[in-house]
Amino acid sequence: MTLPEKIMALYPRLTTQDFLTVITLQNNSDGRGDYIAKWEHPTLPRPTEEQLDGVK
Amino acid sequence: MSSIVISGDTSGSITLAAPAVAGTNTLTLPTQTATLSFNGPAFSAYADTAQTISSGTLTKVTFGTEEFDTNNNFASSRFTPTVAGYYQFNATILCKASSTISATILAFYKNGSAFARSFSLSVSSGEPMINGSCLIYLNGSTDYVEVYGSITGTGTITFGFNDSAITSRFSGALVRAA
Repeated sequence: MTLPEKIMALYPRLTTQDFLTVITLQNNSDGRGDYIAKWEHPTLPRPTEEQLDGVK
Repeated sequence: MSSIVISGDTSGSITLAAPAVAGTNTLTLPTQTATLSFNGPAFSAYADTAQTISSGTLTKVTFGTEEFDTNNNFASSRFTPTVAGYYQFNATILCKASSTISATILAFYKNGSAFARSFSLSVSSGEPMINGSCLIYLNGSTDYVEVYGSITGTGTITFGFNDSAITSRFSGALVRAA
């Protein structure tokens, strides 16, 4: 499961618009994979690593 | 005009060469203090293979083949010029998804941070190409520029590659010296 899929599983009401504005997921193509570069959602807190790891 | 002043470095020489053909050639200087820049750095590169990415994730685009790189300033899909000035950049990303695409982003990153982004929503199906261009000042030593892209969609999502003419592309050139 990819990082955006895990985030959507935690917060199903997030929209495409959210990922264009207040949330930025990034991958620098350096082998380290996807990560949250920016999380400025007005109501939903940034998910923790434990929360993301717990999504199956 | 009262005089012509030529100032050189502490070593080397300055050569003013005229073309070895008959005729009159005129070089008109601007009516202001300015720096003339000729043969500044320029490069063009394109993606030579598909690159699978995660939906909705800004991912650095890999441009594996250089068409030209006049000053050897392009490496690892990053342009780090050794001449300070204002650079015009152009980029295109070929977006593909095995199902649908709902949004695309192309972003120019300067020194690891987004400098300029263009995006499009409700792309639907097909293989859209997203384009972007911008003018960026670079200091000629540490500043660098990369291209990132994002595709929001379903199924397998890639920065596509069909052939050298239908693929993602990144180019830039010095347009004004510092």
